[in-house]
Amino acid sequence: MLKINNLQASVEEKQILKGLNLEINPGEVHAIMGPNGAGKSTLGNVLSGRDGYEVNEGSAELDGADLFDLEPEERAHAGLFLAFQYPVEIPGVSNLEFLKAAIEAHAKANDIEPPSSAELLKQAKEACKAVDLPLAFLKRGVNEGFSGGEKKRNEILQMMLLKPKLAILDETDSGLDIDALQVVAKGVNSMRAADRSLIVVTHYQRLLDYIKPDFVHVLADGKIVKSGGPELAHELEAQGYAWLENGEKAGENA
Amino acid sequence: MTEQIDKALEREYEAGFVSEIESDTFEPGLNEDVVRRISAVKGEPEWMLEWRLKAFRIWQEMEEPDWAHVGYDKIDYQAISYYSAPKSMADKPKSLDEVDPELIETYNKLGIPLHEQEMLAGVAVDAVFDSVSVVTTFREKLYEAGVIFCPISEAVHKYPELVQKYLGSVVPQKDNYFAALNCAVFTDGSFVYIPKGVRCPMELSTYFRINEQNTGQFERTLIIADEGSHVSYLEGCTAPQRDENQLHAAVVELVAMDDAEIKYSTVQNWYPGDENGKGGIYNFVTKRGVCHTNAKISWTQVETGSSVTWKYPSCVLKGDNSIGEFYSVALTRGAQQADTGTKMIHIGKNTKSTIISKGISAGKSNNSYRGLVRMNPGADGARNFTQCDSLLIGDKCGAHTFPYVESRNPSAIVEHEATTSKVSDDQMFLCQQRGIDPEKAVSMIVNGFCKEVFKELPMEFAVEAGKLLEVSLEGSVG
Amino acid sequence: MSHWFENAIERGEQLTLSAQRTASLELLKNTPWPTRKTEAWKYTPLKAVQGFNATASEVLAAEQIEGLQAIDVVPGSELPTELPAGLTMQWLAADDVDASLFQQVKPNRHLFGLVNDVLAENVLQIRVAAGTEVATPIRIVQQLTAGSETHVRVLVEIEEKASLTVIEQFAGSEQSLNTLFAEYRIADDAKLEHYRLALQTEQAMSLGGSHFQLFDRSQLNSNVVGFGSDVSRIDMDVRHSGQHAFAKLNAIYLLDGKELFDLHSTIEHEMPNGTTEENIRGIAAGSARAVFNGRIHIHRDAQKTLAELNNRNLLLSNKAEINTKPELEIYADDVRCAHGATIAETDKTALYYLQSRGIGKEEAQIMLNFAFINELVDDMPNQAIAEWLRPQLRQRFAKMGE
Repeated sequence: MLKINNLQASVEEKQILKGLNLEINPGEVHAIMGPNGAGKSTLGNVLSGRDGYEVNEGSAELDGADLFDLEPEERAHAGLFLAFQYPVEIPGVSNLEFLKAAIEAHAKANDIEPPSSAELLKQAKEACKAVDLPLAFLKRGVNEGFSGGEKKRNEILQMMLLKPKLAILDETDSGLDIDALQVVAKGVNSMRAADRSLIVVTHYQRLLDYIKPDFVHVLADGKIVKSGGPELAHELEAQGYAWLENGEKAGENA
Repeated sequence: MTEQIDKALEREYEAGFVSEIESDTFEPGLNEDVVRRISAVKGEPEWMLEWRLKAFRIWQEMEEPDWAHVGYDKIDYQAISYYSAPKSMADKPKSLDEVDPELIETYNKLGIPLHEQEMLAGVAVDAVFDSVSVVTTFREKLYEAGVIFCPISEAVHKYPELVQKYLGSVVPQKDNYFAALNCAVFTDGSFVYIPKGVRCPMELSTYFRINEQNTGQFERTLIIADEGSHVSYLEGCTAPQRDENQLHAAVVELVAMDDAEIKYSTVQNWYPGDENGKGGIYNFVTKRGVCHTNAKISWTQVETGSSVTWKYPSCVLKGDNSIGEFYSVALTRGAQQADTGTKMIHIGKNTKSTIISKGISAGKSNNSYRGLVRMNPGADGARNFTQCDSLLIGDKCGAHTFPYVESRNPSAIVEHEATTSKVSDDQMFLCQQRGIDPEKAVSMIVNGFCKEVFKELPMEFAVEAGKLLEVSLEGSVG
Repeated sequence: MSHWFENAIERGEQLTLSAQRTASLELLKNTPWPTRKTEAWKYTPLKAVQGFNATASEVLAAEQIEGLQAIDVVPGSELPTELPAGLTMQWLAADDVDASLFQQVKPNRHLFGLVNDVLAENVLQIRVAAGTEVATPIRIVQQLTAGSETHVRVLVEIEEKASLTVIEQFAGSEQSLNTLFAEYRIADDAKLEHYRLALQTEQAMSLGGSHFQLFDRSQLNSNVVGFGSDVSRIDMDVRHSGQHAFAKLNAIYLLDGKELFDLHSTIEHEMPNGTTEENIRGIAAGSARAVFNGRIHIHRDAQKTLAELNNRNLLLSNKAEINTKPELEIYADDVRCAHGATIAETDKTALYYLQSRGIGKEEAQIMLNFAFINELVDDMPNQAIAEWLRPQLRQRFAKMGE
């Protein structure tokens, strides 16, 4: 599904990703963990084409399509979804209006019939329930005046309606209390499917108790330095990241 | 990102065509004789002429104001023609069938069909073309309800006591430079009278079109809502695309008697000039309403056109418990300049006013909110709330706020807030990440920014306003 | 044309002036006397200034600020000789003003600033050498005495990484006219703590300004207190000429009787990444008139500016008047700017709450009004000044509306 080869990327001329390789098959859930500043958020931003993130080398293919050839919205049409760490507010644009615009743009790009307004409303209401947001949120401005937890749930709501092939959850657990975390995880788990893959980016192991990954990768200094099964997350939880960074530095010195 | 946003805001001026219509047009120039000629062409009574002449003499003594945050070449008032009317109108056509088809076609092109059967059922239209009213629809139907809706030139003859009593009662001849000029040379406009207790059965609307070159348009609108009555009035305006600037100096007076309500909506789309500021309409307009006891006047404006806008629709809250509202969206782009806002003068007790102003600046344009809220000593318990938001698109435009707040009553409360924001890269990226293309994203964000004002517009106008901002509100989501 | 104004120009023409001061005189001659139609003087009539005739020129020091150790400067008097290392002060002669400081920060548009350019008989120059932190505040203090007309100029240069506190203090109630204009250049990483205590009242007229130019990472903390008089007018100008500068401007005015107080502030953000926080609070009772005009101007290059202005007023009498005009002029898009202004009376719910707890209405009113102002007094970095001000403010509140 996703193939990242030797990805090197920089922000404001500072290199953040330094040769990242990753391959994800349909249906898999990959967790990417690592210390602050390792480049975790950069990965999601580079893949989805945010302004200011420059790809210096390497490639990323989603089902054979070169992501870096596409505009951000075209990447979205191709099935890439990024759940933002800090979702932005768009005052006055109602959630429902926003969802309708997004879903219609997806349908148009993929040459399929968009759902009717009634159908869309039905889906949106269901998604609202699934993430435990009151229906009134559909009429409110996108993230306008939402609490941190509500914003994160709104991201999952959007994911549920847009049904991406590949979703990247960028620190979706940050700022959530345990109840909200469970709601979010439940929403995400309901989206797991044989033809859908997930990348869960997180600093803490906590989220992975609820969203069980198939693979765990450790990202440090712009590279994946270690990969393994779910047990790796527990290992990190027990030992922290310090040993990794030290190891990394020791390696550089050697 | 800014480039994409600019592109999204670019649009053709669709109303820029010229109609081939033979007109009787005065030679350019302005003096007492011209004022007399205008009055004579309209066959006006002596009192009307005297009123005009008095205004003209006042105007000659006045100086053009320069306090607004706009710059333009000095206007040569002698280079303007002060009267132009389609030849075919000279014989005063008795029905629409006698009106020049080219005129009707002009309005068709603008989306304003003048045949009643083709029109939106709930809207009566007065179509003003250069200096004359072409046709006023649904007059009979309105007349049955007791509502008078006719060209003001006709009202001068038919309802002289109403016109004499109220003309100039809200905006006097000496009010300001452009108003004085209008008083001297106004040619046509709409007159509305809603009798006591009547709720006007349909929306009233005037559509102003400037067509002839080198003419000014000086229309005058007078709306009187008698005790307990209610009316909703809409106004639209367009002009051909020309390289020369044209002057539009209108005056609108509203009188809301006790318990009456007037809702006045404008979608202003005069030709804005080109990207470099060549051509376009100078829109120097005085609009004011007076509210008697328990009355309410609500101004809603969507200003997207004109090269220079100078306009402050205001409310004099004379009666106790009266209410004034001002909802405004002003979009400037290219080299447009807008200096617009409102005045709320609180005189009566427990008067209330609300001001919501949304300014959007793009390109090299400058967009200013200028407002006055005054609480007079007698305005016990009066209340004002003002919110001015500016949205900047790109780093070559300007957004400004000049609010004057004056209070002389300790029990009055005034609150003013202003903020500024931009269409942020983060907002654009969120939309794009969800698959929405940049043009649509800008439209959505700008539309969202204006939502509080758009919801005040009557349905038909909300749609037009949305289109003007290139915002397609497809479907009825929201 | 005003009698006083014509007379001022005549007096200027008889002086031997430096080139810069001569230029100001020329400018002044071409400046019309303000009327109600002059935007900057819309609410402030100058009739009392027009009619003023100087009869004496005695200048006395105002009272001490208890608990405050300061280097006191009285215009027209000798300067203290023992100064902290790195601090220098001198009086400049009328024809010997230092071109590097004079008229460099103060904008030309202030009419009385031009008068001061020409007529300032006392020009004080203060320099703080790079890296010097002057702990003792400098207090420039003036008691406006009957019949006096005084024009004082202060030029301050705070060099890199230096810091200084300056207090401009005015007192007096008898018929008099004063202008004091102060210009401050605050160099990279330097700091200024500033107070303008315009405590003159009744017939003591004062028109002046404090003007600041901020360079990279410099910091300004300015506090204005005004009581109002026949004519009291202050113009505060802050120019962000460097990046990452921080300006905080707090002002309170407290007016009663027939007092007039007019505060104009102009913030020019010329460079990126600057921050300005303005908090202005005022109370007008009796038949007083308060005027506030706060302009924030974000220039084209001043991206990432953060500027906020908040003006709150209490109007306590139906003969008093409050006029406020917060202005924004913005030419850069990536900025965060906001302003707010309110005019209201004392919060009735809070008043009722206090009364319900057994506090008398008048006392409750004083408490609430004082609290409204006191927030900004609390915010003053110099505790001695705050302590000294509080009882004076309280006394004013107690007298209000009598």
